[in-house]
Amino acid sequence: MALIQWRRFNFFNKQIVDPGLSGRTWQHVKDRQFLCSACGRGQLVFGDSQGCIHSVNHNFQVSSFKAFEIVVTHLFQLKQHNILAAVGVDEMGINPVIKVWNLDKKDKLGNPFCCRVQNTIPSNNVPSEVTDFAVHENLTLMAVSFVQGSVVLYKGDIAKDRITNKNVHLTTDVSDPITGLSFYGVGKNIHLFATTERMLFTFNLQEKSPKKNVLDRRGCPPRCSMSSDSILDNQFILTATDAVYLYHPDSVGSCFVFEGEKIMAKWGSGYLVLVYKDKAKGSIPTTSTMRLLDKNVVTIYDMKQKLIAYSAPLPGVQEVLYEWGSIYILGADNSLVCLQEIDIHQKLEMLFKKNLYSLAVNLAKSQNLGEEGLVEIFTQYGDHLYSKGDFDNAITQYIRTIGHLEPSYIIRKFLDAQRIHNLASYLQALHEKGMANEDHTTLLLNCFTKLKDVENLNKFIMTPETELHFDVETAIKVCRQAGYHQHALQLAEKHHKHKWYLKIQLEDTHQYEKALAYIKKLPFKEAESTVKQYGKVLMCNVPEETTHLLKNLCTDYRPIGSQPSDDADGRPISKSNGEEFIHIFVNTPEMLVKFLEHLIQADNKPSEAVFNTLLELYLHKMNQTDNAKKKVDIEETTLKLLKDFSSKSLTDQALVLCQMHNFRPGILYLYEAQGLYQQILRYHMDHEAHGLIVETCRRHGDRDVTLWQHALTYFAQQRDSDCRQHIAQVLTHIEKHNLLPPLLVIQLLSRNPSTTLSVVKDYILRRIRQESDEIKKYERSIEEHRETTEKMKKNIEALKTSATIFQETKCSLCTHDLELPAVHFLCQHAYHQHCFESYAENDDECPVCAGPNRKIMESLKEQEQTLSSSLALNEQFLSQLKRSSDGFSVIADFFSKGVFNKLTLVGDEEKIPNGGGARATSSGSMTSHRIDPSLQKELLMMQQANRM
Amino acid sequence: MGVGKSCLLLQFTDKRFQPVHDLTIGVEFGARMITIDGKQIKLQIWDTAGQESFRSITRSYYRGAAGALLVYDITRRDTFNHLTTWLEDARQHSSSNMVIMLIGNKSDLEARREVKKEEGEAFAREHGLIFMETSAKTAANVEEAFINTAKEIYEKIQEGVFDINNEANGIKIGPQHSPASGGAGGSRPRQQADSGGCC
Repeated sequence: MALIQWRRFNFFNKQIVDPGLSGRTWQHVKDRQFLCSACGRGQLVFGDSQGCIHSVNHNFQVSSFKAFEIVVTHLFQLKQHNILAAVGVDEMGINPVIKVWNLDKKDKLGNPFCCRVQNTIPSNNVPSEVTDFAVHENLTLMAVSFVQGSVVLYKGDIAKDRITNKNVHLTTDVSDPITGLSFYGVGKNIHLFATTERMLFTFNLQEKSPKKNVLDRRGCPPRCSMSSDSILDNQFILTATDAVYLYHPDSVGSCFVFEGEKIMAKWGSGYLVLVYKDKAKGSIPTTSTMRLLDKNVVTIYDMKQKLIAYSAPLPGVQEVLYEWGSIYILGADNSLVCLQEIDIHQKLEMLFKKNLYSLAVNLAKSQNLGEEGLVEIFTQYGDHLYSKGDFDNAITQYIRTIGHLEPSYIIRKFLDAQRIHNLASYLQALHEKGMANEDHTTLLLNCFTKLKDVENLNKFIMTPETELHFDVETAIKVCRQAGYHQHALQLAEKHHKHKWYLKIQLEDTHQYEKALAYIKKLPFKEAESTVKQYGKVLMCNVPEETTHLLKNLCTDYRPIGSQPSDDADGRPISKSNGEEFIHIFVNTPEMLVKFLEHLIQADNKPSEAVFNTLLELYLHKMNQTDNAKKKVDIEETTLKLLKDFSSKSLTDQALVLCQMHNFRPGILYLYEAQGLYQQILRYHMDHEAHGLIVETCRRHGDRDVTLWQHALTYFAQQRDSDCRQHIAQVLTHIEKHNLLPPLLVIQLLSRNPSTTLSVVKDYILRRIRQESDEIKKYERSIEEHRETTEKMKKNIEALKTSATIFQETKCSLCTHDLELPAVHFLCQHAYHQHCFESYAENDDECPVCAGPNRKIMESLKEQEQTLSSSLALNEQFLSQLKRSSDGFSVIADFFSKGVFNKLTLVGDEEKIPNGGGARATSSGSMTSHRIDPSLQKELLMMQQANRM
Repeated sequence: MGVGKSCLLLQFTDKRFQPVHDLTIGVEFGARMITIDGKQIKLQIWDTAGQESFRSITRSYYRGAAGALLVYDITRRDTFNHLTTWLEDARQHSSSNMVIMLIGNKSDLEARREVKKEEGEAFAREHGLIFMETSAKTAANVEEAFINTAKEIYEKIQEGVFDINNEANGIKIGPQHSPASGGAGGSRPRQQADSGGCC
C-alpha cells in the first residue's frame, strides 16, 4: 500500500446480526451456499447453489422460493421498482436463463410472480457461463456478459415476454471474460460500461448498432466494478489493484490510489467498500464456487469526505450489501455481520479529539446536521485555533457562529490590543448579519479608529441605507469621540441626523459655512429648530450668511434644492416668528438691525417686539455715534420707522424707549400720534423750551384748550428766566379765545414774583375795557327789555280794563277795505266775515296770530310735561347711572334729551301776550337744580377723567 | 504542503479556496465550460498527485492531454529546481504538441518569495513555455492561466497542429457545432500540477 493514505477513522461499529427470534430466521438458511446477492427496497436478497432465492427483511426473517432448478448465479434488485431479476441455470448444458419477478404479485404458490423468462445466448451460440448481469432502472434494458467475451443487450420491457423485444449482440472483439457490466445515464443518452481484466470499454446505446469504445487499457476482476450514484456523478468505478479509477462514458476521471488486491467492491451512498485480500495469504480463487475462509480486510472509504471510515479484517467475506444505512457482510460460515455507522455526534467527537475541525464541518454539512451542530463545531474549531494562537483563522471560524453564539464570548477573547483587527473583522461580520447592537457598533468603530483603518471605516460608514446594520447615532457618537469628525459628518449627513451633523460641524470642526449650507438644505421645521439652537454660534462666526438665512426663514424659506413644485400646490409658505431669533444677535447688533429691517420690510404686521427691538437698536446706535451727520441719518431712519409703525398700533414701550434714549423727535412724535398734547407740553416744559411750548399750544390748542392754561401756569412759575414775551403770546391767545377769566390769569401770574405788572398791563387794560364795554351793552339791553316789558304790561292792563277800539279798515287776509260783515280781534286784526270763515280754523282765534300763538302754547305744554315728569326722570337717571358700566354714556344720553338744559325760555316767554293767557313760572330753572349735588359731582369727575 | 495544484483547480472550477487541503491521493478530476472565440469549450482538467510514489499512475494521464500546467511554488526554491525533471517527464509521455504553461503559484506570499519572477520567465523562455504567476488563494491570474492555456491549444487547432480527429491528442469535437472537450493532463508531483484541457 502506498504510504500516503486518507485519514483513517472508525465510523462503523461491527456487530453480528442477531437472528430474528420468531418465524423463519437466518438460522434456517445458514447452511446454504450463497452464490450471489442483491439488496434494495428494504430487503437483502441471496441466491444459493440450489436455485433458491432468499430474501431477508429488516427483522431478519427470511422468505425463500425456488427460482431455478439448479443454481442462481446473479441477482439484480431494481431500486425504483419492486422487480427482481436473476440469472440462473435450470438445466445442465443449457444456456443460463434470465428470470424476472414482480415482487408485488404472487403466483399460485404464494411465491413472487415470475413475469419473464429469457434464455441467454452468447454471440457464438455456444452455451457458456454468464459473468455479469445488469438491468437498467428504466425497465427496458438488460445486459448479460459471458466468459468468452460477448455481451448481449436485451431491449424492451424487461418484465414482459414480447416479440418486440430485441436481443442485440454487442461486438467486443475480446476473448477474455467480461468481468463487469454497468449501465450509465438516463433517458436516451445511455451508455453501457463493460470491463475485462485488461480493458474497459463503453457502448453508446444511442447508436443503432453500438460500437465498442475503448476507454482505458485497464480492467478489473469480477465483482470489482460498479456504477456509483449521484454523489460521484454516476461515474463508473473500477477498482484495479493499484488504484480505484472513475470514468465518465467519454473520459477518464479521478483516480484514487488504494493499493492492494481487491476481491470485491461495493458502492453504497457515498461509501465505497473494498474487500482486500489479506496479503499474508496466497491468492484465493475468485470464482464464487470455491471460497475459502480467508482473512480479508474490509475498508470503507467515504468518497466525499475523502477519508477511510472503517477498516478491519474480517474472515472470508462472501458478499457485501448496503441496506438500511448499514453495510452487511456475509462472512465465513454464512454469518451476517452488520457494520453500523455511528451517529454524527460520535463522529464529530472523534474528529474534535483529533482537531480535525474542517473535516468535521464538511461531514456535518454532508449529513445535514442542523445549524446548531455546525455552530458547535465552529466554536470548537475557533477555540482550538485560538489556543494555538492562530487568531486570524480562529476569527473566521467564530464569524461563522454569528447568530448562535453569544458575541461577548468571542469579543472578550479578542479584546487584547494585538488582536483588535481580528475583533474588528468579527464585529464587521456581526454587523453585516444584522446581529450587532449598539455596543458592538461602538466597539467596532473604536477598533477602526484604534487601528487607524480609515478605509474600512469609510466602507462601514458608506453602507447603503438598505443594508444598514448598525445604530447610526452610536456610530456618529463614536466617530466623533475618536476624532474622526469627517466620518461622523458623512454618517450624519447620509442618515439625516441633522442634529449631529451640525453639532459636530459647529462644535468640533468649526466649519460654520458648511454647517450653514447644510441648514439651508433642511426642511423648514428642522432648519428653524436648528437655527434656534445654534444660531448664536453661527452668528458669532459667519454673521452675514446666518443673517441671510434667518431672513429667509422669516420670510419665504425654501430648502435649497427642493423642487419648485413644492410650493406650487398652494401650501402656505412657512415662516418663523422673527422674535424668536432676536436673541441670536446678542453680540451682533449690526446684523440684528439688518435682520429686523428685513423683517419689517417683508412683513406687513411685524410684531411689537420686532419693532421695539429695532427701535431700541436705532436709538442705541444713535447714542453711540459721535458723527453728527450719521446721527442725523439715524434719526431720520428712526423717525421714519416710528411713523411707519405708529400708524398701526403704537405702544407705550416705544415711548419708554424713546424716553430712555432721550430721543426727542421720537418722543414728541409719539405723543402727538397718541394725542397726548399735555405730555408734549410737559416735555417742553421740562426742557424749558419756551418757544416750543407756545408753538405746541398754538398747534394743538384747538384740540385741547387747557394747553394754554398750562402754558400760562408754567410761564407764571418761571422765576428765573424771562418769559414775558411768551406770557404775552399766551395771554393773547387766552384773550382771543376767552379761555380764562382775567382774575384767574392775574392770580396765576401773581404767583411768580418775577412777573411784573407790565407784562399783563396791556392785557388787563384790554380786558377791563372789554368788560366794561360789555357791561354797558348789557345794561343797555336790560333797559330796553325793561321798557318793552313795561309796555307789554300796560298793554295787558289796557286789554283787561279799558275798551278797545276796533278801527281797522282793511281785512288782514285780503287787504281789501273792510266791509260788513266783519270780524275783529283784540289783537287788532280784522277780517271780512267770508275771509275769516274761509280761512280760520275755528271761530275763537285770530288766524294771523294763531300760528305763533300755537308755537308758544306747545312749548309751554312741553315744559309743563317735563316738569311733571322730572321727579321720575331723576330716579330713572340715577338708577341707570349706578347700574351702567359706562356712566358717561348714560349721562351723555340724558344730556341729549335736554334734561340738564337751563330752561330760561319760560321766563322770557311769559311776557309775550297771547290769547290763552300765560302761566308765569320760575320753576323752569328749577329743573336743573333738582339734580342732586352728588350726581353733579360724579358728572364732573367723569368729564375730567375723559379729558385725561 | 504542495505547490497548490489542487487549490488552483478548486479555485478555477469552484471559485473557492480551501486553506487546509489534504494531499492528493492519485488524480482529481475537474471540468468547466469556458468560451473562446465565441465557442463553448469544455475543459477537462486532471489534478495529479505530486508525490513521487504516485508517479507511475499519474504519468498515464499525460497521454491524451492537450495541455499541461507545470506548477511550482515561488516560496520554495526546491520546487523550482525540480521543474526540469517534470518537464522531461511530461514531454516524454505526452504528444509532442502539448501546450505547457509554467505557473509560479502562491504569488500572494510575496514576503516569503524565494524564486524571482524573472527566473520563472527565464525558464519558460528557455523551454518554450508560457509563464504566469498565480495565487490560488486570491484567485489572481488563476482564470487567466487556464484560459490562456486553452487559447493556446485552440490556436494550435486552428493552425492545424492538432489533429482533431485523433482523440489521443485530447481533443474532441462536441456533439453540436462547437468543439467539445477532450482532455488531457499531465502532471507532476510535487511541483507542479498540471492539467490540460482542451477545447
